[in-house]
Amino acid sequence: MSTPTDNAPAQTDEEIIASIGGYEYGWHDNDAAGAIAQRGLSEDVVRNISALKSEPEWMLNQRLKGLKLFDKKPMPHWGSDLSGIHFDQIKYFVRSTEKQAATWDDLPEDIKATYDKLGIPEAEKQRLVSGVAAQYESEVVYHQIREDLEEQGVIFMDTDTALREHPELFEQYFGTVIPAGDNKFAALNTAVWSGGSFVYVPPGVHVDIPLQAYFRINTENMGQFERTLIIADEGSYVHYVEGCTAPIYSSDSLHSAVVEIIVKKNARVRYTTIQNWSNNVYNLVTKRATAAEGATMEWVDGNIGSKVTMKYPAIFMLGEHARGETLSIAFAGEGQHQDAGAKMVHAAPNTSSSIVSKSVARGGGRTSYRGLVQVLEGAKNSRSNVLCDALLVDQISRSDTYPYVDVREDDVHMGHEATVSKVSEDQLFYLMSRGMDETEAMAMIVRGFVEPIARELPMEYALELNRLIELQMEGSVG
Amino acid sequence: MTTTDHSQATADAAHTDGVVVPQGSRGERFTSFDVDAFEQPGPRDEDYRFSALRDLAPVLDEAAAPADGASVEVTAPQGVVVGELAQGEAPRGTVLVPEDRIAAIASAGTERATHVAIPADAQLTDPIRVAITGRERSRSHLVIEAGTHSEATVILEHRGTGAHAGNVEVIMGDGSQLKVVSLQQWDDDAVHAGTHHARVGRDATYKHVAVSLGGKAVRLAVTAEYGGTGGSAELLGLYYSDAGQHLEHRTFIDHNAPQCHSNVAYKGALAGKTARTVWIGDVLIRAAAEGTDTYELNRNLVLTDGARADSVPNLEIETGEIEGAGHASATGRFDDEQMFYLRSRGIPEDRARKLVVRGFFADLIQQIGVPEVEAGLMQEIDKELEHFSEEPA
Repeated sequence: MSTPTDNAPAQTDEEIIASIGGYEYGWHDNDAAGAIAQRGLSEDVVRNISALKSEPEWMLNQRLKGLKLFDKKPMPHWGSDLSGIHFDQIKYFVRSTEKQAATWDDLPEDIKATYDKLGIPEAEKQRLVSGVAAQYESEVVYHQIREDLEEQGVIFMDTDTALREHPELFEQYFGTVIPAGDNKFAALNTAVWSGGSFVYVPPGVHVDIPLQAYFRINTENMGQFERTLIIADEGSYVHYVEGCTAPIYSSDSLHSAVVEIIVKKNARVRYTTIQNWSNNVYNLVTKRATAAEGATMEWVDGNIGSKVTMKYPAIFMLGEHARGETLSIAFAGEGQHQDAGAKMVHAAPNTSSSIVSKSVARGGGRTSYRGLVQVLEGAKNSRSNVLCDALLVDQISRSDTYPYVDVREDDVHMGHEATVSKVSEDQLFYLMSRGMDETEAMAMIVRGFVEPIARELPMEYALELNRLIELQMEGSVG
Repeated sequence: MTTTDHSQATADAAHTDGVVVPQGSRGERFTSFDVDAFEQPGPRDEDYRFSALRDLAPVLDEAAAPADGASVEVTAPQGVVVGELAQGEAPRGTVLVPEDRIAAIASAGTERATHVAIPADAQLTDPIRVAITGRERSRSHLVIEAGTHSEATVILEHRGTGAHAGNVEVIMGDGSQLKVVSLQQWDDDAVHAGTHHARVGRDATYKHVAVSLGGKAVRLAVTAEYGGTGGSAELLGLYYSDAGQHLEHRTFIDHNAPQCHSNVAYKGALAGKTARTVWIGDVLIRAAAEGTDTYELNRNLVLTDGARADSVPNLEIETGEIEGAGHASATGRFDDEQMFYLRSRGIPEDRARKLVVRGFFADLIQQIGVPEVEAGLMQEIDKELEHFSEEPA
């Protein structure tokens, strides 16, 4: 790794650390908004957030209910070590700019520079996405959707604006998939949520190019609590893609989102996440979808960054012939614990689900697959298949598999298989005898291992994933 | 979470920093001979949430049993030394240190444990039989010691009624070969909570077979760990749960030494309303256990409506230097194509069904390697199936 010399352009400490760790998104902008934000959580904080957003009474009540439940609910006593979360230190709401921009140029200079560096405006210009939402700290600062989609009645906006502009739709669906009391972090999100995306796709409309959201934390000890609600009406299709990054700080931030998705009859939703938070972010997210008759829900879940991730995207198959699919991929490097998985609930006959999970642990990192497949009584002729593969590239890393299965119906087929393997000497030797160095060879083996999932990603994300694998694998050998 | 986490209640206070640190791995459980060190388990405890807690109440209640309640009779070929071990008298308690309340109660409730010692280099052709007969509320503790390079088979026959908590502690010398077959042939109203814990010596081969057909509720925890390199442990299980039966098997392979091998295969069938089976298969490969090769398999065949099978193969791996690790679990109805094939050959449905079930268990039974047990088992399964075909469909 190169070290800065005196005549090199001045680098901040954070930039140097970032370059050493191989994390490219570790810079942070000027942080005036974060500096004045209040730390800690109380009823006043919650009332304040609601007042700032001029919310209707019912939403304030929801928030207060969420706060009460948050106080009451225990911390999860399984999974990752969450003892590093200090709820009193967290900034629950940070407003970075007064108004949402309609063009990138309207954004404050440093925020725009951030998104330029992340390549978001470029992707939009090239029409790789049909809509973009960019959330910075607590609020969505930029948002745009292709005109023709808007004309067809597709709604894609930040969740705060949706509450103002589509109150009926909002009240009808908000909190119906994930109730406030679902778990401690869902309750917290309900109390202090801000930002996120609201998507409504009218019956029969196919959104052929993905909608994209980009989440960025800038300030230290930030708590980002976006709330996303996606409703795909009968026979429609939409692919929603989100990416996440944050600067590297010495103390920790918390990202605790709630994502609710309603897939109506014969509709299909694909939700892709490439989570690349810096290694000081606790990523504790509740994601759940309901799939009606003939509907298909797909989660493509990539977890590369963060200090701790606990995330188990769920699909409740409520109608006959509903289908659920989760593709999950996790990388854990030094100091990281990716506790990810999936949850499938078969609540209707002839439903089918599939979970494919691939994980790579290196440098002392830990990956855990934790999943649940539940077949409720009456869900006759349901089928489910779970495949977990883990790759360990050294002696100090750790991989766990905790697949729960709960079958309450006889007429089902349920299968689970897991393998854990190390990178074989033979494979390495073969590639190195063809002139590759060890790092390249290792990266190629890992790429081959995750390829079945990578090919499901939109092209630019697949490329991004490959690049991230190379960064992750750097220095993993020897 | 285990019952050992006393900090939980206080740690859950609101707004305080999250101070609950989850158990790091399956190997970090609290152990103690003191019954009171374990709280009464509740339905939310990870280790009991699949259990028939109401049925198990008598084996979780320390006061409920008279000392040495069960009758344990050993029939052994010549050369085998049968004796007794008092509380704390070695080798009793050197391998099986209770990690739950049930095992602690069985240990504390048995004043004099039965000690079966197989001398070094002995090659026993006839099996050692241990008849354990349960009465109202009974406890037992059995210590089996296999001398170095010995070869033996031990058949445990559990019969009778009441509620029984039984420990089986297996200490294997280097290079020894031991088969332990545990037959749960309880009366329909019996409750059995067993803890079988073995330490497999260097280059030793251990095979444990659990056959659970009888009893109202059976909860069997089977653990194997290693005392040196090159050990091999095979845990096999076969269960058949009828209406109202709750059969639970929890296996744990603790790969704590390098170059060891393990294989777990459990197969079960369920027939009848409220028939219930639980299989939890834990495998931990510790950082020291380089060169480990392990595989676990669980298959459940659900024959009628209303039965429930839980299957959880957990795998924790702390080193990448392993030969291989994997598990597979499947729960389903028998294969329609097999049924169709048999029916198309003119075999009536109930007979075809029997053939499919027999086929399902056959390969597992063939792995047992104790001829008299193998022969008896197929008959037992036929009997279960007859019983099942009498029930209205």
